[in-house]
Amino acid sequence: MKENSAEDFDSLYVKKKYTGLKTFVIFFCLILLALISVYTYLSVGAVRDRMKLSQAQTEGATAVSPSLIGLMKDKAWVESRLKMASNDSIGLSVDLENHLLQLELKGVVVMSTKIRDYSASGFFKRMDGNVYFSMFGSPLTIQKYISSIEKNPFKVVQAPKNEAEAEAARSIKDTIHHEVFWTVKLDRDFELNIQGIDSVSASQSKYKLGKGFEFKRDLKNITNSFQQIIKFKKPVYTPEILISIPENEAKAILRALPRNAAVTIRI
Amino acid sequence: MIRTFLIYLAILIVGVLFFGSMILFGVPALQESTFVLPKMATQAGAEEAGTTRESLEKEISKLQNKLDKCTPNDAYIVINTNDNHFYLFKNKQLIRDGLCSSGKNERLVSAERNYKHDFYTPLGVLKVLTKQKNPVWAKPNWAFIEDGLPIPPPGDPSRFESGTLGAYKLTLGDGYMIHGTIYKRFMGMSVTHGCVRLGDEDLEVVFNTMAIGSKVYIY
Repeated sequence: MKENSAEDFDSLYVKKKYTGLKTFVIFFCLILLALISVYTYLSVGAVRDRMKLSQAQTEGATAVSPSLIGLMKDKAWVESRLKMASNDSIGLSVDLENHLLQLELKGVVVMSTKIRDYSASGFFKRMDGNVYFSMFGSPLTIQKYISSIEKNPFKVVQAPKNEAEAEAARSIKDTIHHEVFWTVKLDRDFELNIQGIDSVSASQSKYKLGKGFEFKRDLKNITNSFQQIIKFKKPVYTPEILISIPENEAKAILRALPRNAAVTIRI
Repeated sequence: MIRTFLIYLAILIVGVLFFGSMILFGVPALQESTFVLPKMATQAGAEEAGTTRESLEKEISKLQNKLDKCTPNDAYIVINTNDNHFYLFKNKQLIRDGLCSSGKNERLVSAERNYKHDFYTPLGVLKVLTKQKNPVWAKPNWAFIEDGLPIPPPGDPSRFESGTLGAYKLTLGDGYMIHGTIYKRFMGMSVTHGCVRLGDEDLEVVFNTMAIGSKVYIY
Protein backbone atom coordinates (compact mmCIF):
# COMPACT_ATOMS: atom_id res chain seq x y z
CA MET A 1 0.00 0.00 0.00
CA LYS A 2 1.36 3.33 -1.01
CA GLU A 3 1.71 6.00 1.67
CA ASN A 4 0.68 9.56 1.05
CA SER A 5 3.63 11.87 0.70
CA ALA A 6 3.85 15.41 2.13
CA GLU A 7 3.46 16.72 -1.45
CA ASP A 8 0.09 15.03 -1.85
CA PHE A 9 -1.18 16.70 1.33
CA ASP A 10 -0.01 20.11 0.05
CA SER A 11 -1.80 19.66 -3.26
CA LEU A 12 -5.02 18.79 -1.46
CA TYR A 13 -4.72 21.92 0.69
CA VAL A 14 -4.08 24.14 -2.36
CA LYS A 15 -7.04 22.61 -4.19
CA LYS A 16 -9.33 23.39 -1.25
CA LYS A 17 -7.97 26.94 -0.96
CA TYR A 18 -8.56 27.66 -4.68
CA THR A 19 -12.02 26.13 -4.63
CA GLY A 20 -13.01 29.07 -2.40
CA LEU A 21 -11.42 31.55 -4.81
CA LYS A 22 -13.08 29.83 -7.76
CA THR A 23 -16.49 30.14 -6.10
CA PHE A 24 -15.83 33.81 -5.37
CA VAL A 25 -14.79 34.52 -8.99
CA ILE A 26 -17.83 32.71 -10.40
CA PHE A 27 -20.14 34.45 -7.92
CA PHE A 28 -18.60 37.85 -8.64
CA CYS A 29 -18.86 37.41 -12.43
CA LEU A 30 -22.46 36.24 -12.10
CA ILE A 31 -23.32 39.37 -10.07
CA LEU A 32 -21.69 41.56 -12.73
CA LEU A 33 -23.62 39.76 -15.48
CA ALA A 34 -26.87 40.14 -13.57
CA LEU A 35 -26.19 43.86 -13.03
CA ILE A 36 -25.44 44.37 -16.73
CA SER A 37 -28.59 42.49 -17.71
CA VAL A 38 -30.81 44.54 -15.38
CA TYR A 39 -29.10 47.77 -16.46
CA THR A 40 -29.52 46.94 -20.16
CA TYR A 41 -33.15 45.84 -19.72
CA LEU A 42 -34.16 48.96 -17.81
CA SER A 43 -32.15 51.34 -20.03
CA VAL A 44 -33.64 50.00 -23.26
CA GLY A 45 -37.05 49.95 -21.57
CA ALA A 46 -36.65 53.67 -20.82
CA VAL A 47 -36.13 54.39 -24.52
CA ARG A 48 -39.17 52.33 -25.49
CA ASP A 49 -41.25 54.16 -22.86
CA ARG A 50 -40.12 57.51 -24.21
CA MET A 51 -41.14 56.44 -27.73
CA LYS A 52 -44.55 55.30 -26.51
CA LEU A 53 -45.05 58.57 -24.66
CA SER A 54 -44.15 60.65 -27.72
CA GLN A 55 -46.53 58.64 -29.84
CA ALA A 56 -49.33 58.93 -27.29
CA GLN A 57 -48.92 62.72 -27.32
CA THR A 58 -49.64 62.84 -31.05
CA GLU A 59 -52.68 60.58 -30.90
CA GLY A 60 -55.56 61.87 -32.99
CA ALA A 61 -53.29 64.09 -35.10
CA THR A 62 -53.86 64.19 -38.84
CA ALA A 63 -52.05 61.35 -40.55
CA VAL A 64 -49.02 62.31 -42.61
CA SER A 65 -48.95 60.81 -46.05
CA PRO A 66 -45.60 59.03 -46.54
CA SER A 67 -45.31 60.38 -50.10
CA LEU A 68 -45.54 63.98 -48.88
CA ILE A 69 -43.48 63.72 -45.73
CA GLY A 70 -40.35 65.22 -47.32
CA LEU A 71 -42.24 68.29 -48.51
CA MET A 72 -44.05 68.64 -45.22
CA LYS A 73 -40.72 68.59 -43.40
CA ASP A 74 -39.48 71.36 -45.73
CA LYS A 75 -42.60 73.39 -45.01
CA ALA A 76 -42.26 72.91 -41.25
CA TRP A 77 -38.60 73.96 -41.47
CA VAL A 78 -39.29 77.24 -43.30
CA GLU A 79 -42.34 77.99 -41.13
CA SER A 80 -40.31 77.40 -38.01
CA ARG A 81 -37.52 79.73 -39.21
CA LEU A 82 -40.09 82.39 -40.03
CA LYS A 83 -41.49 82.15 -36.50
CA MET A 84 -37.96 82.46 -35.15
CA ALA A 85 -37.43 85.55 -37.33
CA SER A 86 -40.31 87.30 -35.57
CA ASN A 87 -38.22 87.29 -32.35
CA ASP A 88 -35.77 90.09 -31.61
CA SER A 89 -33.03 87.79 -30.40
CA ILE A 90 -30.51 85.57 -32.11
CA GLY A 91 -31.69 82.03 -32.89
CA LEU A 92 -30.00 78.82 -33.99
CA SER A 93 -31.06 76.78 -37.00
CA VAL A 94 -29.77 73.23 -37.31
CA ASP A 95 -30.12 71.71 -40.77
CA LEU A 96 -28.85 68.15 -40.52
CA GLU A 97 -30.11 67.38 -44.02
CA ASN A 98 -27.75 69.93 -45.58
CA HIS A 99 -25.11 69.74 -42.82
CA LEU A 100 -25.51 73.39 -41.87
CA LEU A 101 -25.61 75.17 -38.54
CA GLN A 102 -26.68 78.80 -38.74
CA LEU A 103 -27.13 81.77 -36.45
CA GLU A 104 -30.12 83.83 -37.52
CA LEU A 105 -31.13 87.29 -36.46
CA LYS A 106 -34.53 88.55 -37.59
CA GLY A 107 -34.43 86.11 -40.51
CA VAL A 108 -30.95 87.13 -41.64
CA VAL A 109 -28.30 84.42 -41.60
CA VAL A 110 -25.45 86.11 -39.76
CA MET A 111 -23.27 83.05 -39.49
CA SER A 112 -23.27 79.74 -41.29
CA THR A 113 -20.99 76.81 -40.59
CA LYS A 114 -20.66 73.41 -42.20
CA ILE A 115 -21.35 70.50 -39.85
CA ARG A 116 -18.30 68.24 -39.92
CA ASP A 117 -19.92 65.23 -38.31
CA TYR A 118 -23.10 64.44 -36.44
CA SER A 119 -24.92 61.61 -34.73
CA ALA A 120 -28.52 61.42 -33.54
CA SER A 121 -30.16 59.05 -31.07
CA GLY A 122 -31.99 56.02 -32.40
CA PHE A 123 -35.15 57.67 -31.10
CA PHE A 124 -34.99 60.25 -33.93
CA LYS A 125 -34.36 57.57 -36.55
CA ARG A 126 -37.40 55.60 -35.44
CA MET A 127 -39.95 58.39 -35.02
CA ASP A 128 -42.92 58.67 -37.34
CA GLY A 129 -44.17 61.79 -39.15
CA ASN A 130 -46.50 62.95 -36.39
CA VAL A 131 -43.84 62.68 -33.69
CA TYR A 132 -41.42 64.52 -36.01
CA PHE A 133 -43.80 67.45 -36.42
CA SER A 134 -44.61 67.56 -32.72
CA MET A 135 -40.87 67.76 -31.99
CA PHE A 136 -39.62 70.01 -34.80
CA GLY A 137 -42.74 71.64 -36.27
CA SER A 138 -42.14 74.90 -34.40
CA PRO A 139 -39.10 76.55 -32.80
CA LEU A 140 -37.77 74.93 -29.64
CA THR A 141 -36.55 76.94 -26.68
CA ILE A 142 -33.27 76.47 -24.87
CA GLN A 143 -33.85 75.80 -21.19
CA LYS A 144 -30.38 75.16 -19.88
CA TYR A 145 -26.76 75.46 -20.97
CA ILE A 146 -23.87 73.34 -19.75
CA SER A 147 -20.50 74.17 -21.25
CA SER A 148 -16.81 73.45 -20.90
CA ILE A 149 -16.05 77.17 -21.34
CA GLU A 150 -17.64 80.21 -19.80
CA LYS A 151 -20.71 81.31 -21.74
CA ASN A 152 -20.40 85.02 -21.00
CA PRO A 153 -16.89 85.71 -19.81
CA PHE A 154 -16.90 89.03 -18.05
CA LYS A 155 -13.87 90.17 -16.12
CA VAL A 156 -14.02 92.62 -13.24
CA VAL A 157 -11.02 94.90 -13.37
CA GLN A 158 -9.94 97.23 -10.58
CA ALA A 159 -9.24 100.69 -11.92
CA PRO A 160 -5.54 101.58 -11.62
CA LYS A 161 -4.63 104.16 -9.02
CA ASN A 162 -2.08 105.83 -11.30
CA GLU A 163 -0.59 105.72 -14.81
CA ALA A 164 2.12 103.18 -13.87
CA GLU A 165 -0.47 100.68 -12.65
CA ALA A 166 -2.52 101.23 -15.83
CA GLU A 167 0.51 100.39 -18.00
CA ALA A 168 1.26 97.19 -16.01
CA ALA A 169 -2.37 95.99 -16.34
CA ARG A 170 -2.24 96.33 -20.15
CA SER A 171 0.49 93.68 -20.50
CA ILE A 172 -1.46 90.78 -18.87
CA LYS A 173 -3.07 88.43 -21.43
CA ASP A 174 -4.98 85.11 -21.15
CA THR A 175 -3.53 82.50 -23.52
CA ILE A 176 -4.91 79.24 -22.07
CA HIS A 177 -6.63 76.94 -24.59
CA HIS A 178 -9.84 75.24 -23.44
CA GLU A 179 -11.73 72.46 -25.20
CA VAL A 180 -15.11 73.60 -26.51
CA PHE A 181 -18.08 71.36 -25.78
CA TRP A 182 -21.53 72.55 -24.85
CA THR A 183 -24.92 71.04 -24.29
CA VAL A 184 -28.31 72.66 -24.38
CA LYS A 185 -31.42 71.15 -22.91
CA LEU A 186 -34.41 71.93 -25.10
CA ASP A 187 -38.01 72.35 -24.02
CA ARG A 188 -39.19 69.18 -25.82
CA ASP A 189 -37.01 67.13 -23.52
CA PHE A 190 -33.96 66.34 -25.58
CA GLU A 191 -30.41 67.60 -25.76
CA LEU A 192 -28.33 69.22 -28.44
CA ASN A 193 -24.58 68.76 -27.98
CA ILE A 194 -22.10 70.88 -29.86
CA GLN A 195 -18.49 69.80 -30.01
CA GLY A 196 -15.70 72.04 -31.23
CA ILE A 197 -13.22 70.09 -33.36
CA ASP A 198 -10.72 70.84 -36.05
CA SER A 199 -10.97 67.60 -38.07
CA VAL A 200 -13.47 64.77 -38.56
CA SER A 201 -11.03 62.13 -37.24
CA ALA A 202 -10.48 64.22 -34.12
CA SER A 203 -14.22 64.34 -33.50
CA GLN A 204 -14.61 60.58 -33.82
CA SER A 205 -11.70 59.62 -31.58
CA LYS A 206 -12.66 62.25 -29.02
CA TYR A 207 -16.24 60.98 -28.85
CA LYS A 208 -15.18 57.36 -28.44
CA LEU A 209 -12.55 58.00 -25.85
CA GLY A 210 -14.86 60.37 -23.99
CA LYS A 211 -12.25 62.73 -22.66
CA GLY A 212 -12.54 65.70 -20.36
CA PHE A 213 -15.80 67.57 -20.12
CA GLU A 214 -17.77 65.09 -22.21
CA PHE A 215 -16.52 62.13 -20.16
CA LYS A 216 -17.47 63.82 -16.89
CA ARG A 217 -20.93 64.54 -18.30
CA ASP A 218 -21.37 60.89 -19.41
CA LEU A 219 -20.17 59.63 -16.05
CA LYS A 220 -22.67 61.86 -14.25
CA ASN A 221 -25.49 60.49 -16.42
CA ILE A 222 -24.41 56.89 -15.73
CA THR A 223 -24.28 57.57 -11.98
CA ASN A 224 -27.79 59.02 -12.12
CA SER A 225 -29.00 55.99 -14.10
CA PHE A 226 -27.46 53.61 -11.56
CA GLN A 227 -29.14 55.42 -8.71
CA GLN A 228 -32.46 54.76 -10.43
CA ILE A 229 -31.63 51.14 -11.26
CA ILE A 230 -30.66 50.35 -7.66
CA LYS A 231 -34.23 51.35 -6.78
CA PHE A 232 -35.44 49.08 -9.65
CA LYS A 233 -36.73 52.12 -11.53
CA LYS A 234 -36.18 52.87 -15.19
CA PRO A 235 -33.55 55.57 -15.70
CA VAL A 236 -34.51 58.83 -17.38
CA TYR A 237 -33.78 58.69 -21.10
CA THR A 238 -33.00 61.90 -22.97
CA PRO A 239 -32.45 61.60 -26.71
CA GLU A 240 -29.61 63.69 -28.05
CA ILE A 241 -28.02 65.06 -31.17
CA LEU A 242 -24.25 65.49 -31.24
CA ILE A 243 -22.85 67.93 -33.78
CA SER A 244 -19.20 68.61 -34.52
CA ILE A 245 -18.21 71.98 -35.96
CA PRO A 246 -14.96 73.99 -36.00
CA GLU A 247 -13.92 74.98 -32.49
CA ASN A 248 -13.92 78.74 -33.04
CA GLU A 249 -17.43 78.64 -34.46
CA ALA A 250 -18.68 76.44 -31.62
CA LYS A 251 -17.39 79.07 -29.22
CA ALA A 252 -18.88 81.98 -31.22
CA ILE A 253 -22.33 80.35 -31.37
CA LEU A 254 -22.36 79.56 -27.64
CA ARG A 255 -21.49 83.14 -26.77
CA ALA A 256 -23.93 84.68 -29.25
CA LEU A 257 -27.01 82.74 -28.15
CA PRO A 258 -29.16 84.43 -25.51
CA ARG A 259 -30.38 82.59 -22.40
CA ASN A 260 -33.69 81.29 -23.83
CA ALA A 261 -32.77 81.29 -27.51
CA ALA A 262 -35.03 79.69 -30.10
CA VAL A 263 -33.74 76.69 -32.05
CA THR A 264 -35.15 75.17 -35.24
CA ILE A 265 -34.10 71.72 -36.36
CA ARG A 266 -34.47 69.74 -39.59
CA ILE A 267 -33.45 66.08 -39.65
CA MET B 1 -0.21 27.38 -7.55
CA ILE B 2 0.59 30.96 -8.58
CA ARG B 3 -0.52 30.11 -12.10
CA THR B 4 -4.03 29.16 -10.90
CA PHE B 5 -4.23 32.32 -8.82
CA LEU B 6 -3.19 34.45 -11.82
CA ILE B 7 -5.82 32.80 -14.01
CA TYR B 8 -8.56 33.66 -11.51
CA LEU B 9 -7.20 37.18 -11.16
CA ALA B 10 -7.23 37.59 -14.95
CA ILE B 11 -10.84 36.35 -15.09
CA LEU B 12 -11.77 38.92 -12.42
CA ILE B 13 -10.03 41.75 -14.29
CA VAL B 14 -11.65 40.76 -17.59
CA GLY B 15 -15.04 40.63 -15.86
CA VAL B 16 -14.61 44.10 -14.37
CA LEU B 17 -13.37 45.52 -17.70
CA PHE B 18 -16.29 43.93 -19.53
CA PHE B 19 -18.69 45.39 -16.99
CA GLY B 20 -17.12 48.86 -17.30
CA SER B 21 -17.13 48.85 -21.09
CA MET B 22 -20.75 47.62 -21.21
CA ILE B 23 -21.86 50.42 -18.88
CA LEU B 24 -19.81 53.12 -20.58
CA PHE B 25 -20.25 52.13 -24.23
CA GLY B 26 -22.30 48.95 -24.71
CA VAL B 27 -25.59 49.93 -23.10
CA PRO B 28 -25.60 53.54 -24.47
CA ALA B 29 -24.92 52.09 -27.95
CA LEU B 30 -27.72 49.59 -27.51
CA GLN B 31 -30.07 52.39 -26.38
CA GLU B 32 -29.36 54.29 -29.59
CA SER B 33 -29.41 51.27 -31.83
CA THR B 34 -32.36 50.97 -34.16
CA PHE B 35 -31.95 47.19 -33.84
CA VAL B 36 -33.65 47.00 -30.45
CA LEU B 37 -36.06 49.89 -30.96
CA PRO B 38 -39.35 49.26 -32.73
CA LYS B 39 -40.31 51.52 -35.62
CA MET B 40 -43.16 53.81 -34.62
CA ALA B 41 -46.29 52.82 -36.49
CA THR B 42 -47.93 55.76 -38.22
CA GLN B 43 -50.99 56.79 -36.27
CA ALA B 44 -54.34 56.10 -37.80
CA GLY B 45 -56.21 59.29 -38.53
CA ALA B 46 -57.79 61.31 -41.26
CA GLU B 47 -55.52 62.33 -44.15
CA GLU B 48 -55.23 66.08 -44.51
CA ALA B 49 -57.82 66.89 -47.14
CA GLY B 50 -56.73 68.61 -50.35
CA THR B 51 -53.01 68.45 -49.63
CA THR B 52 -51.23 67.69 -52.84
CA ARG B 53 -47.62 67.86 -53.89
CA GLU B 54 -48.28 70.97 -56.00
CA SER B 55 -50.08 72.87 -53.26
CA LEU B 56 -47.31 72.06 -50.78
CA GLU B 57 -44.58 73.18 -53.19
CA LYS B 58 -46.46 76.42 -53.77
CA GLU B 59 -46.79 77.04 -50.05
CA ILE B 60 -43.10 76.33 -49.41
CA SER B 61 -42.03 78.71 -52.16
CA LYS B 62 -44.30 81.43 -50.73
CA LEU B 63 -42.88 80.95 -47.24
CA GLN B 64 -39.32 80.87 -48.56
CA ASN B 65 -39.90 84.20 -50.36
CA LYS B 66 -41.18 85.68 -47.13
CA LEU B 67 -38.07 84.47 -45.32
CA ASP B 68 -35.76 85.76 -48.05
CA LYS B 69 -37.32 89.22 -47.74
CA CYS B 70 -36.02 89.43 -44.17
CA THR B 71 -32.50 89.90 -45.58
CA PRO B 72 -32.00 93.54 -46.63
CA ASN B 73 -31.29 94.30 -50.26
CA ASP B 74 -29.32 97.43 -49.43
CA ALA B 75 -26.05 97.48 -47.51
CA TYR B 76 -25.69 95.89 -44.11
CA ILE B 77 -22.82 94.76 -41.94
CA VAL B 78 -22.42 91.65 -39.78
CA ILE B 79 -19.97 91.76 -36.89
CA ASN B 80 -18.65 88.60 -35.24
CA THR B 81 -17.46 89.70 -31.79
CA ASN B 82 -15.92 86.32 -30.99
CA ASP B 83 -13.55 86.24 -33.96
CA ASN B 84 -13.48 90.03 -34.35
CA HIS B 85 -14.35 89.82 -38.01
CA PHE B 86 -16.76 91.93 -40.05
CA TYR B 87 -18.70 91.07 -43.22
CA LEU B 88 -20.12 93.85 -45.42
CA PHE B 89 -23.03 92.94 -47.71
CA LYS B 90 -24.77 94.78 -50.53
CA ASN B 91 -27.54 93.37 -52.71
CA LYS B 92 -27.29 90.23 -50.57
CA GLN B 93 -23.69 89.71 -51.76
CA LEU B 94 -20.60 89.79 -49.58
CA ILE B 95 -18.54 92.69 -50.85
CA ARG B 96 -15.86 92.97 -48.17
CA ASP B 97 -14.74 91.30 -44.99
CA GLY B 98 -11.85 91.77 -42.63
CA LEU B 99 -10.64 92.14 -39.09
CA CYS B 100 -12.18 94.44 -36.55
CA SER B 101 -11.95 94.94 -32.79
CA SER B 102 -14.89 94.71 -30.45
CA GLY B 103 -15.72 95.07 -26.75
CA LYS B 104 -13.40 93.50 -24.18
CA ASN B 105 -16.17 92.28 -21.85
CA GLU B 106 -14.84 93.86 -18.72
CA ARG B 107 -16.27 95.74 -15.78
CA LEU B 108 -14.08 98.57 -14.59
CA VAL B 109 -14.49 99.14 -10.88
CA SER B 110 -13.03 101.94 -8.80
CA ALA B 111 -13.86 101.72 -5.11
CA GLU B 112 -12.00 104.97 -4.38
CA ARG B 113 -14.05 106.92 -6.92
CA ASN B 114 -17.26 104.91 -6.36
CA TYR B 115 -17.45 104.16 -10.06
CA LYS B 116 -18.16 101.17 -12.30
CA HIS B 117 -18.59 100.81 -16.05
CA ASP B 118 -19.18 97.77 -18.33
CA PHE B 119 -17.23 97.52 -21.57
CA TYR B 120 -19.00 95.26 -24.05
CA THR B 121 -20.37 95.40 -27.58
CA PRO B 122 -24.16 94.99 -27.53
CA LEU B 123 -25.42 91.97 -29.51
CA GLY B 124 -28.46 92.14 -31.79
CA VAL B 125 -29.62 94.44 -34.59
CA LEU B 126 -28.65 98.13 -34.53
CA LYS B 127 -28.96 100.85 -37.15
CA VAL B 128 -26.58 103.51 -38.38
CA LEU B 129 -27.95 106.73 -36.87
CA THR B 130 -25.38 109.29 -38.04
CA LYS B 131 -22.25 109.40 -40.18
CA GLN B 132 -19.36 111.81 -39.69
CA LYS B 133 -16.01 112.51 -41.32
CA ASN B 134 -12.93 113.46 -39.24
CA PRO B 135 -14.67 112.89 -35.91
CA VAL B 136 -13.40 114.30 -32.63
CA TRP B 137 -13.60 112.00 -29.63
CA ALA B 138 -15.20 113.51 -26.57
CA LYS B 139 -13.63 111.36 -23.86
CA PRO B 140 -16.10 110.06 -21.29
CA ASN B 141 -15.26 109.72 -17.55
CA TRP B 142 -14.23 106.05 -17.84
CA ALA B 143 -11.35 106.99 -20.18
CA PHE B 144 -9.73 108.99 -17.35
CA ILE B 145 -10.55 106.45 -14.62
CA GLU B 146 -9.10 103.63 -16.70
CA ASP B 147 -5.82 105.53 -17.10
CA GLY B 148 -5.64 106.45 -13.41
CA LEU B 149 -6.07 110.15 -14.19
CA PRO B 150 -8.21 112.79 -12.45
CA ILE B 151 -11.57 113.47 -14.14
CA PRO B 152 -11.64 116.92 -15.78
CA PRO B 153 -14.83 119.03 -15.77
CA PRO B 154 -17.23 118.75 -18.78
CA GLY B 155 -16.07 120.81 -21.75
CA ASP B 156 -12.44 120.79 -20.58
CA PRO B 157 -10.05 120.78 -23.59
CA SER B 158 -8.35 117.59 -22.27
CA ARG B 159 -11.61 115.73 -23.01
CA PHE B 160 -11.36 116.24 -26.79
CA GLU B 161 -9.05 114.24 -29.02
CA SER B 162 -8.72 114.41 -32.81
CA GLY B 163 -7.58 111.41 -34.86
CA THR B 164 -8.26 108.76 -32.18
CA LEU B 165 -11.45 107.63 -33.95
CA GLY B 166 -9.81 107.55 -37.39
CA ALA B 167 -11.18 109.30 -40.47
CA TYR B 168 -14.86 108.34 -40.08
CA LYS B 169 -17.44 107.34 -37.52
CA LEU B 170 -20.88 105.79 -37.82
CA THR B 171 -22.93 106.11 -34.63
CA LEU B 172 -25.20 103.26 -33.53
CA GLY B 173 -26.83 104.79 -30.43
CA ASP B 174 -26.13 104.66 -26.68
CA GLY B 175 -22.57 105.87 -27.28
CA TYR B 176 -21.65 102.90 -29.49
CA MET B 177 -19.93 103.57 -32.84
CA ILE B 178 -18.09 102.03 -35.73
CA HIS B 179 -14.89 104.00 -36.13
CA GLY B 180 -11.19 103.81 -36.98
CA THR B 181 -8.26 103.50 -34.63
CA ILE B 182 -4.68 104.46 -34.01
CA TYR B 183 -4.11 101.08 -32.27
CA LYS B 184 -3.77 99.00 -35.46
CA ARG B 185 -1.85 96.22 -33.67
CA PHE B 186 -5.01 95.34 -31.72
CA MET B 187 -7.03 94.52 -34.85
CA GLY B 188 -8.74 91.13 -34.49
CA MET B 189 -8.76 91.38 -30.69
CA SER B 190 -11.45 92.11 -28.13
CA VAL B 191 -9.97 95.28 -26.69
CA THR B 192 -12.45 98.11 -27.15
CA HIS B 193 -14.78 99.78 -24.70
CA GLY B 194 -17.79 98.60 -26.73
CA CYS B 195 -17.35 100.34 -30.07
CA VAL B 196 -16.33 98.47 -33.21
CA ARG B 197 -12.96 99.53 -34.60
CA LEU B 198 -12.04 98.98 -38.26
CA GLY B 199 -8.82 99.41 -40.21
CA ASP B 200 -8.50 102.60 -42.31
CA GLU B 201 -9.30 101.10 -45.74
CA ASP B 202 -12.12 98.90 -44.45
CA LEU B 203 -13.61 101.86 -42.60
CA GLU B 204 -13.64 103.97 -45.75
CA VAL B 205 -15.48 101.26 -47.71
CA VAL B 206 -17.96 100.71 -44.88
CA PHE B 207 -18.54 104.46 -44.53
CA ASN B 208 -19.16 104.89 -48.26
CA THR B 209 -21.36 101.78 -48.58
CA MET B 210 -23.55 102.07 -45.49
CA ALA B 211 -26.27 104.69 -45.42
CA ILE B 212 -28.08 106.20 -42.47
CA GLY B 213 -30.58 103.53 -41.41
CA SER B 214 -28.46 100.62 -42.67
CA LYS B 215 -28.58 97.63 -40.37
CA VAL B 216 -25.73 96.40 -38.21
CA TYR B 217 -26.05 92.78 -37.06
CA ILE B 218 -23.82 91.98 -34.12
CA TYR B 219 -23.32 88.50 -32.63
